[in-house]
Amino acid sequence: MTGTDQSSFLGRISIRRNQVNAMEGYHEQEIEDLELFQKQLSDRFAELLSAPDDAPTEAFLSISWIRKLLDVFLCCETECKAILLMERDAAQISKPPLDRLIPELLERVVKAMDICNAATNGVELVRHCQKLAEITVSALEQKPFGEGQARRAKKALVSLMSAMHVDDKESSVQKTAERSWSFGRRSGNKDRHHGHYRSLSWQVAKHWSASKQIHAMTMNLAAPRGPEASCLPAPVYILSLIIVFVMWVLIAAIPCQERSGLTTHLPINKHVNWTHSLAGIHDKIGEEWKKKEKKGMAGLLYEMQKMEKLGQSLIEFTDSYQFPGEKEKLDEVAAQVAELAEVCRRMDEGLVPLQMLIREAFHRLVRNRTEFLDVLEQGAPVV
Amino acid sequence: MDGCQSGVPTYEGDLHVVAAAHHIVKALGATKNLSDDLRKILIDLDSHLSMITSNIDSKGGRGLVDVEERLDQAERKIMRWETDPMMIWDSGPKEASDYLEAVDETGKLVDGLRGLSVHENRKQKEILHRAMNILQMAMSRLEEELIHILVRHGQQFEPKHMYSRSIRKDIVYDESFVSVEDEPIKETSSRNYSNDESGECIVDLVHADVIPDIKSIAKVMFTSNYGPEFCEAFISVQKEALEQYFSFLGTENLSIEDVLKMEWTCLSSKMNKWTWSMKIIVRVYLASEKQLCDQVLGGLGSVSSYCFLEISKATILCLLNFGEAVAMGPHRPEKLLRLLDMYETLACLLRDIDTLFSEEAGSFIQLQFHELLERLGESAIAAFEAFRVAISSNGSLYPFAGGGVHPLNKYVMNYIRMFPEYCNTLNLLLKNQHPGVADQVTEPDYGLDASLLTSCPMAYHLRSITSCLESNLHKKSQLYKDEALQHIFLMNNIHYLVQKVKGSELRLFFGDEWIRKHNAMFQQHAMNYERATWSSVVSFLKDDNPGSSSMSKSTFKERCKGFSVAFEEVYKTQTSWSIPDPELREDLRISTSLKVVLAYRTFLGRNLAYTDDKCVKHTVEHVENSLLDLFEGSSRSLRNSRRW
Repeated sequence: MTGTDQSSFLGRISIRRNQVNAMEGYHEQEIEDLELFQKQLSDRFAELLSAPDDAPTEAFLSISWIRKLLDVFLCCETECKAILLMERDAAQISKPPLDRLIPELLERVVKAMDICNAATNGVELVRHCQKLAEITVSALEQKPFGEGQARRAKKALVSLMSAMHVDDKESSVQKTAERSWSFGRRSGNKDRHHGHYRSLSWQVAKHWSASKQIHAMTMNLAAPRGPEASCLPAPVYILSLIIVFVMWVLIAAIPCQERSGLTTHLPINKHVNWTHSLAGIHDKIGEEWKKKEKKGMAGLLYEMQKMEKLGQSLIEFTDSYQFPGEKEKLDEVAAQVAELAEVCRRMDEGLVPLQMLIREAFHRLVRNRTEFLDVLEQGAPVV
Repeated sequence: MDGCQSGVPTYEGDLHVVAAAHHIVKALGATKNLSDDLRKILIDLDSHLSMITSNIDSKGGRGLVDVEERLDQAERKIMRWETDPMMIWDSGPKEASDYLEAVDETGKLVDGLRGLSVHENRKQKEILHRAMNILQMAMSRLEEELIHILVRHGQQFEPKHMYSRSIRKDIVYDESFVSVEDEPIKETSSRNYSNDESGECIVDLVHADVIPDIKSIAKVMFTSNYGPEFCEAFISVQKEALEQYFSFLGTENLSIEDVLKMEWTCLSSKMNKWTWSMKIIVRVYLASEKQLCDQVLGGLGSVSSYCFLEISKATILCLLNFGEAVAMGPHRPEKLLRLLDMYETLACLLRDIDTLFSEEAGSFIQLQFHELLERLGESAIAAFEAFRVAISSNGSLYPFAGGGVHPLNKYVMNYIRMFPEYCNTLNLLLKNQHPGVADQVTEPDYGLDASLLTSCPMAYHLRSITSCLESNLHKKSQLYKDEALQHIFLMNNIHYLVQKVKGSELRLFFGDEWIRKHNAMFQQHAMNYERATWSSVVSFLKDDNPGSSSMSKSTFKERCKGFSVAFEEVYKTQTSWSIPDPELREDLRISTSLKVVLAYRTFLGRNLAYTDDKCVKHTVEHVENSLLDLFEGSSRSLRNSRRW
């Protein structure tokens, strides 16, 4: 998945197209390009699938794993577009069935842009959790440790837990947003931290639902059959599927507005070689999601799950803590605090770059759409 | 227990050293221009030293008793409020400062005791533990007080006091070219930028009176290492306040999909609102928020900019996303002016944004702004091209009745009349569209130098737009079967074009040469009309033998009849034609009159002998008066009317 791989691949297509354009054997060359592309895809997703479930770094669904996934996405997008558009006669793109497939692809692209924005908001929520966890860590690391620090940690942990179990349903967003400011002494203050992430800016739009978007994106998404499977409809399908898949993973991992029913099965054709690993990742995340969905959660992001587990354990500790505490228990907690600190550190390192990468994916989708529209316009029969 | 650990003096000499150090610290503390960081260090050192002194004094406990007494006192003051239903800062400044003093005292005791905690002194540990408990309670309380103060003294401001909303005429571009009202648009009143240029309008988002209170809470919380809690609470309230203000402005979150599907009229008003909200949010709200952050958290390094970024990021991204959605939407000609508004707004806010988000963490926002600006520029250019294409490709199947000013012409001219207001922006954006033109442009400031204005990129593009328009009008004129009407149509439309150019700032861009040329053009069409219509009519009145005195009666009769029939025919047709401009109509009537009436009068005068005959159907006066009915746009007939 390195940069040189990609540039050589693009170079290959470019040279080929220049040389053999409109000659005999062109179609065979295209099939070869497509096969090479699928082989690369297969390798990249296999690498992602092979990530360890639990590891200090690079774990499955960890921040760095998602960044890798987005890198793969950006590469695929470039290559797929190269196969589709590079040195190609615009008229080919506007012929059936592409005149239907490309507009459908572009609709998916638009939905994916909104999902990217939802995920950007979601990363903000994760960052908020990080800040609360950092307070917890600094309270629990205090020496000497006493009840005051336990209370301080607990306060942050309670906020953290309610942030994690944020209800992504719209109703709760509405309710909080419309709540009046006039809470009296203390009574309403407990709710303060909820407002922070149930706020309006968390919403993509009223009534918007991440899972519905995914569902809509999978409509008409079917692998091309017969002769179509080896020509232009194939890369359109691949690009569509990868967009839908990556967006689906983002939604599963990062908190988003309205995700109920996300387990929708993506129409991944398992009989094609390159989709093996993709299907593997899909199944794995689907299982996880089913296990966790009912409990309500912030997402499957590895760091968040870790944080949730540590948080729960630490909240129990702070609940029952009495000065000065047993040495054994304190040592155990110290280990957990160190682990939580490590999670915070990884978030601190990874979240901002992740957010930027999501934004880059967004901009890429915007440009991608413009390019396709330009080609469609060029190729449109003159009225 | 070993009492000889480093840092704890047990000898007289050490006592002196400590006393001397204490003295120096006190003296340093009295210095005025100390940075906050340094002052904090000195205060810490001071409390640490007094703790050591009291410890030495006690020689085994009296110092701790002292410390305990001080803690008891502070605790009483702090605990009293735990059961009080009132908020401290609502209860009065004395209460607040007492409380802060107690917290400060507790903090100092904690710091001091902690400095000594290396000793396994049980009593000391106990006091420290108690002090930390009290401190935690106080911090939690301060957080609540902070939220309460921010919410209670948060101030909303009315945007209308800040900016007069730009009232610009909404011109709706329509496929069917429904005519836009042809009333003069006051160009100067439509854009009121004076406020914008005059710079920031900073308001107090939180009442100025409570800023010192918030500051003192910040100070004590940061001193006690509860800074993160302060930030969380501060960010959460201010972020929500900004979001509320955002929805108060009537701006709502929209998905890109929604924006792309939006009807033009709705989108247009949203684009207007965006332009307006963006200015208020950035110039007023965020500038004020930044000031608040700096006032409250100024001395704490990057904390202020961190909080500011966290407060504003979500709202800014929301605004940017709408911009992105608009920029990626279909490039329809009607979007051009709104896009230019958005572009100009962003361009003039860039500097503010770069200042507000100057820190490294804010570079993300800066970058997004710059990207959007570029995107909007591209989109505006695309809309400009779409405008040109729409003009050339606007086709008609039927001739435009009456030959008056075509709605396309009205639409285009009223639309481009707005362009001079966007002159600098359009020049900037169009500069690269036609490299040949760009070379001639040297200065972005197109003051009054007319010759420079006519050669700027916008002028070039304006002329190219009107020439597209002209050729389309020519095409449309071909739909008339009657050659005379073709000329009336072109005369009307080119006259309209010239009038619109002359009557607005457009004249500076088109230049005198263009105006002269087009004046001549419509005059030529007027002459062509006269020739096409009247030559044959007047030919009846021609004297075939200028030498002989008069024609035969039968010839006269025949000529008279021929003239009447032809004249009535022209009257019938051309009363339904239209020349909307009264002056142009008048001019054409006069010149027609000169030609026709004069010829008729001469004809009748030369054949006076027959004029009492019935064959003279129309008197000279009658012909003269009848000509006044032409081009009024309502068909009439002379045959049956007997007005004379």
